[in-house]
Amino acid sequence: MSVFSGLKFRKVSSPIHNLDPRVKFVYVCAIFVVAILFSEMLPLVILFLIQIPFVLLASVEREWLRSMRGAAFLATIIFLTNIGAAFFRDGYVLTAPSVESAVAMTLRFMVLVESFSVFFLTTSPDHLGLALEQTRVPYEFVFAFTTAVRFVPVLAEEAQTIMDAQKARGLELERGNFLKRIRNYIPILIPLIIGAIRRSLELAEAMESRAWGATKKRTNLYVLKMQRGDFVLIAITFGILVIAIYARLFVRIPTVNELLRSLP
Amino acid sequence: MGVIETRNVTYTYPGAAKPSIVDVSLNIEKGEFTLITGPSGCGKTTICRCFNGLIPHFYQGEMKGETIVAGLNVSEHPIYELAKHVGLVFQNPENQLFALSVEKDVAFGLENLGVPREEMRKRVDWALNLTEMYDLRERAPSELSGGQQQRVAIASVLAMQPEVVILDEPTSFLDPLSAKKIFEVIRDLNRKLGITVVLVEHRLDLTARYADHIIVMDEGKVALDGDPHEILRSEEARLIGIGIPKATRLYQILKKDGLKLGNTIPLSSEEMASMLTEALKDG
Repeated sequence: MSVFSGLKFRKVSSPIHNLDPRVKFVYVCAIFVVAILFSEMLPLVILFLIQIPFVLLASVEREWLRSMRGAAFLATIIFLTNIGAAFFRDGYVLTAPSVESAVAMTLRFMVLVESFSVFFLTTSPDHLGLALEQTRVPYEFVFAFTTAVRFVPVLAEEAQTIMDAQKARGLELERGNFLKRIRNYIPILIPLIIGAIRRSLELAEAMESRAWGATKKRTNLYVLKMQRGDFVLIAITFGILVIAIYARLFVRIPTVNELLRSLP
Repeated sequence: MGVIETRNVTYTYPGAAKPSIVDVSLNIEKGEFTLITGPSGCGKTTICRCFNGLIPHFYQGEMKGETIVAGLNVSEHPIYELAKHVGLVFQNPENQLFALSVEKDVAFGLENLGVPREEMRKRVDWALNLTEMYDLRERAPSELSGGQQQRVAIASVLAMQPEVVILDEPTSFLDPLSAKKIFEVIRDLNRKLGITVVLVEHRLDLTARYADHIIVMDEGKVALDGDPHEILRSEEARLIGIGIPKATRLYQILKKDGLKLGNTIPLSSEEMASMLTEALKDG
């Protein structure tokens, strides 16, 4: 089951987990915008570092590192493409500014991945559903979302059971060439799909029996309320935006090369 | 008139060749603990679906006759309206929990009905306490055992405060110990809260003692209907092949062999034990 363990969500409490998902989302969007505003290396390094306290406060370092490692492959491609393009453009020489700009582009990508991964690592699907509901997304969509999350581990377990059962009857999954291997999975998929359809009928029955659709004005057991932490995050977001826009308009951002040279 | 009454109900599922239930007329009184039993495929589940309007609203197909529950004609009222009066607990606990935490699941029906938050909180906590699930209220359903999941399902039905709770083989996915626990919860609903309980079950060993009324179904028809002591001693019940409690069987065999035993038929091993002690004292 180790393959599927990442899909299970556990309820965790931390200053970051408890933040209002809506505020967190606005923050992520702000970081996104700022990352697009700058193509210099220095501000992007700062932007990258700003997120680290969030990761530490939420104590999701391990998961965060894993997602960073996952992004490393794409980041490498971005870096190589940029540096390659500059290499040909400048007449087959590598200049310091072109290396710096390639690093900056890669960093920009990493900042985007980083901020989104912080958001998803620290927001429970339950909270996310609630946020969607309170931003007036129709409840049917929200319900579909939370139910999907609820049944992912269940279906994963079922897939495992079917795999074991078919293997016990002599199905060899790891045999043959690439196409054959894909075909090997058909005896797993068909029972899984039929099981899911049957399950969905039972679910629909249970939903009906619990007054699904009784009123348009549905109430909710939980309500999202902005707390002190949320206001702090709003202030931080606003601060970052103001500083970034000011820097963009009125400050000439030095390159890392110049900084290194100006050192005594 | 009882809280549940069916008059000559015949129902055929869409695409089925023959009706699943035929000419079923029965009457369940308010506050009763009714046990419905019978061999597999005898129409027990179908009759449960009639009680809360899943038939004819959710399942199309052909229905004749009338079902009246809590004074409402089932065909004329939508399922969500009936849900306030009748709660239905299904066989598979996993497929009746949709939320990501226990308490959210218990609140689901109330949320649908638009119950205000403070009232909802009260009712959710009440239902969780009754089923002894309060301490696990923040868990995800996938972290619970089958028995715990089924208790959550019962709590989520209870939170809607129905007059009737119907349980369709609630323990068939559970081990005997969890099953016993579920039956005790159900008995308390009936004894302490006065809720009318309709339990569909094979395990009569554990449940017959609680019943005020037994309905035995066979091939879509009501075969026997009446007092548990009378029905379980009858030859017909044995021939249909329902799981007559072992204590009752033992009583019948001993009685046949000429042992002098009292005239009330035991439905549980405790009753049988005390009866035997009596008999041995006299003998």
